[in-house]
Amino acid sequence: MKFRSLLLKNITRNKTRSSLAILGIAIGVATILGLGLVTNDLAESTQNALTADAADFSVVYGTTGGGGGQGGAPGGGSSPGGQQLINETKVTEIQQISGVSKAVGVLRTNVDLNDTSNSTSSTTSSSTTSDSDGNMGQGGQGALQMMYSVIGIDSSDLSLDDIVITNGTAFSSENEVIIGEMAAGSLNKTIGDTITISNQTFTIVGIYETGNFQDDSGVVMSLDKLQNLTGNTGMVSLILVKASNGTDATSLAETIEDTYSNELTTSTSLSGMDRMNNGLEVIESASWAVTLLTLLIGSIVVVVTMVKSVVERTREIGVLKAVGWTSKRILTMIIGESVVLSLLAAIVGIVIGVGVVEIISMAQIIPGIQPAFSPILFLEAFLVAILLGIIGGIYPAYRASKLSPTEALRYE
Amino acid sequence: MNNESNIIEIKNLKKGYDHGQTMALNGINLEIKKGEFVSLMGPSGSGKSTLLNMIGALDRADEGSIHVAGYNLMEKEDFSQFRSKEIGFIFQFHNLIPNLTVSENVQIPMLETDVADEEMVKRANKILESLNMGHRIDHLPTKLSGGERQRVAIGRALVNHPSIILADEPTGSLDSKTGDIILKILREIHQKENVTLILVTHEPYVAEMADRKINLMDGKIS
Repeated sequence: MKFRSLLLKNITRNKTRSSLAILGIAIGVATILGLGLVTNDLAESTQNALTADAADFSVVYGTTGGGGGQGGAPGGGSSPGGQQLINETKVTEIQQISGVSKAVGVLRTNVDLNDTSNSTSSTTSSSTTSDSDGNMGQGGQGALQMMYSVIGIDSSDLSLDDIVITNGTAFSSENEVIIGEMAAGSLNKTIGDTITISNQTFTIVGIYETGNFQDDSGVVMSLDKLQNLTGNTGMVSLILVKASNGTDATSLAETIEDTYSNELTTSTSLSGMDRMNNGLEVIESASWAVTLLTLLIGSIVVVVTMVKSVVERTREIGVLKAVGWTSKRILTMIIGESVVLSLLAAIVGIVIGVGVVEIISMAQIIPGIQPAFSPILFLEAFLVAILLGIIGGIYPAYRASKLSPTEALRYE
Repeated sequence: MNNESNIIEIKNLKKGYDHGQTMALNGINLEIKKGEFVSLMGPSGSGKSTLLNMIGALDRADEGSIHVAGYNLMEKEDFSQFRSKEIGFIFQFHNLIPNLTVSENVQIPMLETDVADEEMVKRANKILESLNMGHRIDHLPTKLSGGERQRVAIGRALVNHPSIILADEPTGSLDSKTGDIILKILREIHQKENVTLILVTHEPYVAEMADRKINLMDGKIS
């Protein structure tokens, strides 16, 4: 007789108790698996949504060492927001570098869009001047100014700057803009309203979101228009770069820095990623909390089942000791039984978990849920089951191994 | 041990319960020779089973010395190997594992040894055949009579070829006819295998079958 056959026979000894224990643990495993499938789906879909077209890094004026100051470099121009500008020809040059899928020039500035002189109008008037930092400020206003970002980018390249239109459409002409969700809220603007920037009126055709507080408090217009408005024709604040498939973005950034070592530097814009990560961290934390709770409940189920089993078999354990079994073998037997019990529960739990999530997905009970199966998740479910078996089996096994043979043999 | 022919040497052995309020063994001195058949007699509470448990290293004495088959049982160590190699226990209530077959019950002590799986089955079945239980090897204990169960328990006690068999009232739960059959089997095993047999009983006629009869009273040999 093999030792493992003994474990299996012991589990099937009390079928009702074992079945209930398996069901209890299986529900725990199913919960963990179900949560994992949904969390993975959320992670995948969020990541896809936010990073599918976003730039891998941006190129700005400056030196790799972090110093370098503002002026004096070839190609440097005026500086909205105190930032040294880059000649737009660099966009074309970078686009030619091997491994670059797309390079897009972006001009950024800040402007006060509050309209205190014409509050009844849906348009916002402002007499824009260039302040010492190059911002398009509103002159002669004593009130506290709230600055808004103005981004100039071609409408076909919005996704590279993490700009997602949540309502309306992208701008298609130079007198159209899209407005960030926060700016729309604070300025009480919506699609169809107009907004005045530098004495020019623009129609709002869309509302966007980036996840970045600063960018969401602003407007986006065509690059050419903003260059004209700010008098920075042919200049951009930064160049967004997306690496080709299979190209390592970090290596590509290093190549660009090496090529323009005294002129340009790169930085990774993580606003979207940060937001995604924060959101996912919350989801994952909640998932972990449920997992831990499930582990706790599962462990208790195993402990109760195995303690009952040990108590019922007290005299038998006494006999096993009398015939020469070591405490270690008895310990192994009880933990082995609880692990086998948990593994059976894992199989049942996986079937239940996958089944329930598939049903939810197919029946569209929770819209948008598409279970993301991964071998790691199933491995995790099995590992959790083994862990449950070991944790739950330790106490009853220890108790059994420490039984005094004479007391065990006297047990009624 | 002082005398090579003695398999058991016990000197002034004491065992108390309830912080010494009750003395189950109160200064036992006993020597048993290898291959001897000894019966332990005495009323309930005289210390028979306690002494048997001490010899089988199931319990530890408070005082005195006890050497069995070369092992000093007063040493603080795990005696599972000693029990596996040297001792075969037979209990009043057979204590078979209900979900294991007759053959598997007999194989249980061998799981702690290096015996291969196939050899385990072969050895267990051979012993069961010698006990006229060959036709029952695949049956569960619940399907057996009291006498048959006790024969399986004897098989379990013998399977590791122990040097000592400790039988605690092996006929206590059987009718007299079945009890006689079991006693006959035990006596035959003792004679054929030259195994030391210590049998606890409170039946005088059972005790008379032994080479030597030891009476216990209030934890002492009387």
